[in-house]
Amino acid sequence: MKTLIGIASFIVIWEVASVIIGFNLILPSPMTTFHSLMNVLSESSTYYAIFATIWKTTLVLIFVIVIGIPIGFVMGINDKIYETLRPTVMVIQAVPVISWLALVIFLWGLGWRGPVLISFLSLLPTTIFTTASGVNSLDKTLIEMAKVYDVAKGKKIKDIYLGALAPFVFATIEVSIGNVWKVMIMAEYLCGTNGIGVLISWARQYVDVPKIYALTSIAVILGVLSERAVKKIIERTKKKWAMSY
Amino acid sequence: MGDVILRIEKLSKHFKDLLVINEWNLEVERGESIAILGPSGCGKTTFLRILSELEKPSSGRIVSNYQKLGFVFQESRLIPWKSVEGNLRFVSESVKKISEVIKKMKLDGFEDYFPINLSGGMKQRVNLARALVVKPDLLILDEPFFSLDLATKVDIMKDIFFLHQNEKFTMITVTHDVKEALYLADRVLILSNRPSHILKELKLDLNEKERCLSDHAFTALEGEVIKEVLLAE
Repeated sequence: MKTLIGIASFIVIWEVASVIIGFNLILPSPMTTFHSLMNVLSESSTYYAIFATIWKTTLVLIFVIVIGIPIGFVMGINDKIYETLRPTVMVIQAVPVISWLALVIFLWGLGWRGPVLISFLSLLPTTIFTTASGVNSLDKTLIEMAKVYDVAKGKKIKDIYLGALAPFVFATIEVSIGNVWKVMIMAEYLCGTNGIGVLISWARQYVDVPKIYALTSIAVILGVLSERAVKKIIERTKKKWAMSY
Repeated sequence: MGDVILRIEKLSKHFKDLLVINEWNLEVERGESIAILGPSGCGKTTFLRILSELEKPSSGRIVSNYQKLGFVFQESRLIPWKSVEGNLRFVSESVKKISEVIKKMKLDGFEDYFPINLSGGMKQRVNLARALVVKPDLLILDEPFFSLDLATKVDIMKDIFFLHQNEKFTMITVTHDVKEALYLADRVLILSNRPSHILKELKLDLNEKERCLSDHAFTALEGEVIKEVLLAE
């Protein structure tokens, strides 16, 4: 009920703002956008674009988890490795997206690889640093306890390190899923050949502002739905592991 | 080494320029229960950390003749994301032994509880259960009743006393509390201020009845030992 009231308030504010502005090229009304959305959804190319964005986003998330978490883990348990890799990760974090864009266009031209690499590089540093700080903040007395009881290294990693890391991994996934759509659509807009970002880019060329808003609403809905789905999966996993955080 | 489970020879430990333990010599017989009393910062916990190989001595040596070590930590050091049973499984694979210890430590019904849902007393019971599940022949207790209320403390103390009587493991307890030391130990070591050395050893020959905390003779003995400890400080 609260969500419905929230959505209704948003639409009312949007309608009022569009009436005040009174210029469709800046802010079309919710109804105009809705009509445009219906038109967009009646075209098969939209579904193809949505699918293209989803698979690239999934690929980025997989890369970020498979590459970022292990690097963060190793950096967290070893101070020397942390100090060695930290500058590189910080540089990756600081490089403007536009520079990556230039690089990927030189490398591959337009296509799917550019948006994937740009999105991956945008999310990687946060994932690495979050994981490393998770491992670093591990209660060292637990490691001492394991040492006293002569617990095998594999068991120590599985039961103590990974257990301590789980909330940070979940937090990383939640943060990444929230950001990945935005980054991916922007990267598609700049150097993609398919996806929602590309459709927005074409709509801009035709000055079809209601279509830009319609496509943006699709992106927002995808973002919100995926974030909710991931949160539910994480909640279930936490319950399954009966984690007492 | 005969019946000697631990022989400590000229053991010293310093941290940078701070000498904490100064040439301790000690022999511990198998099955004996020793309590170590001393002022704060005199190296009691450091000594236990050296015994359990968490610290290295600066000089001297320890000759040990035990197979398995159990350690009851001051703060329970339970893995927060593991249940009571999971915490015990972390140190032992034996399902039979785990279920035995759970019963012995009055933890039945709490197997699936997580540390966050346990009281301080129950956490210390799990801490003790974890130490017992490895079938230790040397059990180390580092201020195990710290921050427990009196009733819980007495309850757990009694359990430890009877476990020691029945299972005959060697026990070394570090404590600030003279009552705890007298109740649990056959021998009490009183330490000096830092840099600490063993100032006095008291051999106790108390039977189970004489270890009654409210008994007149017991409290009189406690008074005498308190005097000794105050002199040491």
